[in-house]
Amino acid sequence: MIRRGGIGLLVAFLVLVAVGAFSDQLGLSSFYLILLGSICFWIAQATSWNILSGYSGYFSFGQAAYVGVGAYTTAVLSGRHGVNFFLTVPLAALLCGLLALGVGAVAFRLGSLRGEIFALLTLAVPFILAAFARINRSVDGGQGTTVPIPEVPDAFGALPQFQYLLALLIAAIAVAAAYAIQHSRTGSALAAIRDAEDVAEVMGVATFRYKMLAMLISGVLGGAAGSVYALQIGFVTVESVFGLTIPLFVIVMGVLGGRTHWLGPVIGAVLIVTLQDRLSSYGLDAWNSIILGGILALLVAVSPDGLYARLRARPLAALGALVVVSGGLAVLNAWGEVLDWLVVGMLVASLLAIVLGSRWATAWLRRGRPAAVPDEAATATADDVTVPGDAAGDAVPAGSAESTVPAGAPGSGAPGDAEIEAGETGASRGADQLGAVLVECRQVARYFGGVHALEDVTLDIRAGELVGLVGPNGSGKTTLINLLSGAFRPTRGVIRLDGRDITRLAPHKIAHVGMARTYQIPRPFDSMTIRDNVAMAVMFGPESLPLNRARPIAEQHLATVALDHLADAYPADLNLHQRQLLEMARAVASNPKVLLLDEALAGLNPAEVDNAVRVVRRIHESGITIVIVEHLLRVLNQLATRLVVLDRGTCLADGEPQTVLNDPAVIRAYLGRQAHV
Amino acid sequence: MNVIQATLTGVLIGGLYALMAAGLSVTWGVLRIINLAHFGLILIGAYLTFQIATSWHLDPVLTLVITVPAMFIAGAAIQWLFDRLRLTEFNSLLVSFGLLIIIIQVTSNIWSADFRRMSAGTNPYATQSVAIGRLVFPVTTLLAFGLAALVVLAAHLVLRRTFAGRAMRAIAQDRAVAGAFGVDHRRLSVLLGGVVGATAALAGMVFSLSNALTPDTAYEWFGTVFAVVILGGIGEVVGTFAAGILVGVLSGVVSAVWSPAAAPFVLFSAIILALLLRPQGLFAVGGVR
Repeated sequence: MIRRGGIGLLVAFLVLVAVGAFSDQLGLSSFYLILLGSICFWIAQATSWNILSGYSGYFSFGQAAYVGVGAYTTAVLSGRHGVNFFLTVPLAALLCGLLALGVGAVAFRLGSLRGEIFALLTLAVPFILAAFARINRSVDGGQGTTVPIPEVPDAFGALPQFQYLLALLIAAIAVAAAYAIQHSRTGSALAAIRDAEDVAEVMGVATFRYKMLAMLISGVLGGAAGSVYALQIGFVTVESVFGLTIPLFVIVMGVLGGRTHWLGPVIGAVLIVTLQDRLSSYGLDAWNSIILGGILALLVAVSPDGLYARLRARPLAALGALVVVSGGLAVLNAWGEVLDWLVVGMLVASLLAIVLGSRWATAWLRRGRPAAVPDEAATATADDVTVPGDAAGDAVPAGSAESTVPAGAPGSGAPGDAEIEAGETGASRGADQLGAVLVECRQVARYFGGVHALEDVTLDIRAGELVGLVGPNGSGKTTLINLLSGAFRPTRGVIRLDGRDITRLAPHKIAHVGMARTYQIPRPFDSMTIRDNVAMAVMFGPESLPLNRARPIAEQHLATVALDHLADAYPADLNLHQRQLLEMARAVASNPKVLLLDEALAGLNPAEVDNAVRVVRRIHESGITIVIVEHLLRVLNQLATRLVVLDRGTCLADGEPQTVLNDPAVIRAYLGRQAHV
Repeated sequence: MNVIQATLTGVLIGGLYALMAAGLSVTWGVLRIINLAHFGLILIGAYLTFQIATSWHLDPVLTLVITVPAMFIAGAAIQWLFDRLRLTEFNSLLVSFGLLIIIIQVTSNIWSADFRRMSAGTNPYATQSVAIGRLVFPVTTLLAFGLAALVVLAAHLVLRRTFAGRAMRAIAQDRAVAGAFGVDHRRLSVLLGGVVGATAALAGMVFSLSNALTPDTAYEWFGTVFAVVILGGIGEVVGTFAAGILVGVLSGVVSAVWSPAAAPFVLFSAIILALLLRPQGLFAVGGVR
């Protein structure tokens, strides 16, 4: 599939190659070629950084490690050992790739790794390498290394031209890689990791592998660009390539341009490098870092999503500002030169885009058009929960926040009256179809330090069952769900799914064997549409599918939970009930044999409970075995084919709902002495 | 003998690491802010000590009369800013990185990038040392250790015994609930930011006694100090102290026995091992969290 962005990228590359090749005819001085080369270097570095940090959300502060190792490889090998320059570039890329894999293998294995810890670990890497290079004089002779000028084929013209074309080539490769990744399966996986990593893993995304892949690509690109950088600066010292300004630059470029899109770092690099160049040319070098630091601090606070999104929202305003300001300055011709005009124009355009996109500006622009948007939202939420094609009289508008069920309508009163009465047949029908044992837990235990959350739970779940898992708070229900889905590993015991031992399997592999779960507090991928949220589960399910084939399937699943009309919305637009339905659609979309529902009805109003119960029953009837954790015993009594009661980590009762709920031990443990069911 | 000397010197230098790390650890643990600008405050504290002692011929330790209040205000102001921006833990890392860069550039513009060191005349501590048998302890490291022990003890007592300390621990555990019970999060965090700034003044003063200053020193602290924070357990003052000593001894002994080049590797491996084995920190015994 050929996309517009790809074509644009190719055209831009060809034009820039032509600029380099015909720079003499165009009258471009070598100053411009060096500036363009520098822009290309930073585009490559910022893109390399973005492929890991922007896409996956793991911010690296260690970009200098790639620049340093890349530049040192080339400088030392070609400068001190006479190795051909063109050989050192792939060597540098290889070394940095290995370094990245090493760091990733350690960092991503840490159970407690969080974004902050990753940032600090990566911060330490260039320091250690720099210390190593500084102390071991044998590496660079102690004073730094001159990079010899390689023999350039005549076709490339003079050295500045050659340097520029080389940097351009690396930048183009980097940007093309970023573009390809963003539109690939890996890009989707990385975006899911950024939004909710453990959810992605449980859904079937091999998160470790994708993070390592991002690390590797980032390292290889960073290393190759670092190697070319050595040639650009001509003389390599520890300070010039391992310094903290390199991570500062790439982070500012990424944050400024936008981290989730391949164009973001390109925009950031162009702006920052030209701005830096202008500041230097006016003798304001001492202000460089101050301005960059200020931009970073301000941006994170004001516009953390970056320029790309803002420019895309208002392309004409920004372009207009650029043309008017730069053109105006050119016409006046009172101050500066072409570059100055361009930089001022770009800055004004960026500022305008940021200001126009800010909350205050949006509110101010909308001041004349009151409440049109909220109204639409209210209508949307009101009819989405009514299930099309369901029995008449079920059409209770339940989604809107203040929804009190209209008096006299069926379904008012206690949760789930009408629906649950009808459900008795459903339950018995389910019981008739019991199949082979699907999930086996054998003496499963899980301790958290001294706390015995689960103790010797032995449990069989047969195909076609709808098992209600109940118990007082802290009895181990959610722990059991976490063990079954692989989020935790049991301290002791064996868990089998469909005859396969899954006790020590990674969560994404358990998902592929056929386990899916929902979360009590819904955890959608916030950066994706509702459709893509579900499509993710299809893509990374047992049979992997590309995104464009996963989307239609996702829509079918959305129809099952009656969210199909919201397919293009984002999770932020949904209410709690809709988010829980989305959780269910997503879980079902991974085509599981067993679905674990963790308090899927918690926090819903009576009408919403009715609707959710209907959806659960529909999923069950489609042939999926369900384990549901729920506190509403009235609902479970009718919905479940079997109840399992946990109390203080052990299995207290197990059997027909009626029998279990009348068990004196259960009543005592769960409902207190006086309670009646 | 060599190893014993290296170990003991390491213990004392560890005090300086702990002094630098304590403030960082507490803001991270209590306020969920990773304040890289703290390194900038230490740097300014060190340069101010140098400048005041040099131009007014004050005893460097007496400069604390000026630097402590000044850094208190700076720390409180930065904290107030963070509070206003409502930053997440991660974004605080980015914003404070920006601030740190600004601070370093400003110090570089004022004091230049060259090495600055107090002359022997203004700084009598640099040349003095205490000898016990054949073991020699420079006064500066004794001072560092003493101050660190004092700060850690005071912080521990305040967090354990006083109302403000209990309120801070409440904030650390659950900010919203603490707020619901009437803990004024804003005022406390600005106060804490100020106190942390004051410890930066102490650390800066101690550092300037025995070291030459350049703006880039702030970067050189990163690795060691974060190792101390993470090993000690985030938010654990006593743990930070213990970790500071451990890191000091480790680097000291590795440098003496093996080679100074190996120290960063050993340190880095220690952090990773610690994170693998005890993610909550080696010395987490119950501080603010």
